[in-house]
Amino acid sequence: MSDADTGANAIKLRRKAKGKRPSYFSDPDVDRLLSMIMALTGELSVTRDRLDTLERVAASKGLFSSDDIESFALNQEALDARAQRHETLFREVNRVIASALEDLEAAPSEEYGAVVDLVENDDAV
Amino acid sequence: MTASFVEQQHHDALPTTNHDELARQHFVRSFKEYLVAAVHPGLKTAYEKRAKPNFVAKHQREPENIADVGEVMRDDPHYQAWSSLLRTSQEMMWSCTQLPVERTIHELAASAQEQSQTHGSLRLDPELVIPPYHTGVDIHCQPGGYHTEYIPSDVAQGAIYDRAVYLYAMGQMGGDNADMGDSTVAWLKQEYPAFKPSKILDMGCAVGHSTLPYASGFPEAEVHAIDVAAPMVRHAHARANAKSLDVHFAQQNAESTDYADESFDLVVSHILLHETSSKAIKNIIKECHRVLKPGGWMLHVETPPYEGMSPFDTFLFDWDSENNNEPFWRKSHSLDLDELAKLGGFQRHSPIQVMVPSAFQEAQRTMTFQGGDFGGGGVWFVYGCQK
Repeated sequence: MSDADTGANAIKLRRKAKGKRPSYFSDPDVDRLLSMIMALTGELSVTRDRLDTLERVAASKGLFSSDDIESFALNQEALDARAQRHETLFREVNRVIASALEDLEAAPSEEYGAVVDLVENDDAV
Repeated sequence: MTASFVEQQHHDALPTTNHDELARQHFVRSFKEYLVAAVHPGLKTAYEKRAKPNFVAKHQREPENIADVGEVMRDDPHYQAWSSLLRTSQEMMWSCTQLPVERTIHELAASAQEQSQTHGSLRLDPELVIPPYHTGVDIHCQPGGYHTEYIPSDVAQGAIYDRAVYLYAMGQMGGDNADMGDSTVAWLKQEYPAFKPSKILDMGCAVGHSTLPYASGFPEAEVHAIDVAAPMVRHAHARANAKSLDVHFAQQNAESTDYADESFDLVVSHILLHETSSKAIKNIIKECHRVLKPGGWMLHVETPPYEGMSPFDTFLFDWDSENNNEPFWRKSHSLDLDELAKLGGFQRHSPIQVMVPSAFQEAQRTMTFQGGDFGGGGVWFVYGCQK
């Protein structure tokens, strides 16, 4: 198995086929999003396959088996840690929704253009 | 859906894949299988229950052709989802086969050269002009098409194609992707047991996956194979060597080869014709006639013409022409093939158009051809003529 050639000899293949990419939904962004979702699903599948491999290798080496994982009991500390991690995950993923609400709750912010005007022209005499 | 998972037969010209690269490829294969088994069938329901009634309400008649069906199906949400997913699966197929090749491009080129010493031969023509029907768009969305070269002695496009063909057909062409050749050889031997070709030419051979069945099926014959793309014939030669088979590969355009008149007993092609043009297809048939010995056979393995298919089936089967960079797909499926043979010089015998059973997957024979399910019908369409 060779590692990626990152030196001067590294070749980047063309990744886009010549020709216009068709879209199917009335909004082409839906096609783009669907494509991204399938790519994410693919990467999730790759990760699950890797975990599957890990379990099988571990079992074949006598370390632990899939049954050990299935029968693993979460103690209080583990339950708390996971719940905490889930909350962080939701907060990070939904950051943009929370931000919009924060803006709404806060005092009306100045128009962006007005701030640009301020920082560009605050040296005016 | 498939009874058992047939993995591609590994050979020394294929790139090594690491764990995640292989997992990514297996995902694409499963994704395509899911589209065939679980999403494609809903198209018929969507058409019958939603799109067709819409058409009838508007026009007071049934849809009669591709354009009619397209008018209403293009607005159907299930068709939109299927198309969008199928297009995405095609792009992911190329992407996941590119990654290991990009990572090992230099060693692939070097090992192909090393591996190509024993069997058959390889002739390249750096002056050959890649025909416009290959440079207009990248056919079936392979970035760079068949012909792009990134480094000297490059095999990248061939190595990518070799693996992609397996994923595209979801293993339905067997572990060696050999089903088109295997099926044609089996059919020839059954129908014409006395026919013993001593010299065979495969046109538009790509990586030689359909060529090798002729070399193993007719071991006494001298087998030649041509393709316009250097990375294809380089990889094909290394691949044939990896399988210890003698094939003489050459970078040539099937429209005009350098072989002598009347030098072959059998000239074949596999899914070549639909990737050419109106002018090129005529030239190719003429060239077949020129290089064939009297009594020799021309056989082109293709997907079947549209004639006789329902407007709905035709519309779906036509998907590739506008959605998968197959600009000649539609016209090539609507040609007068008898007339084409006559024009090419085949005057003595009538052309044949037959459905040849798959040599690989007898159990799965559905006899249907549908977009996104290449090789799933369990049959191949063969068009040909004896000189």
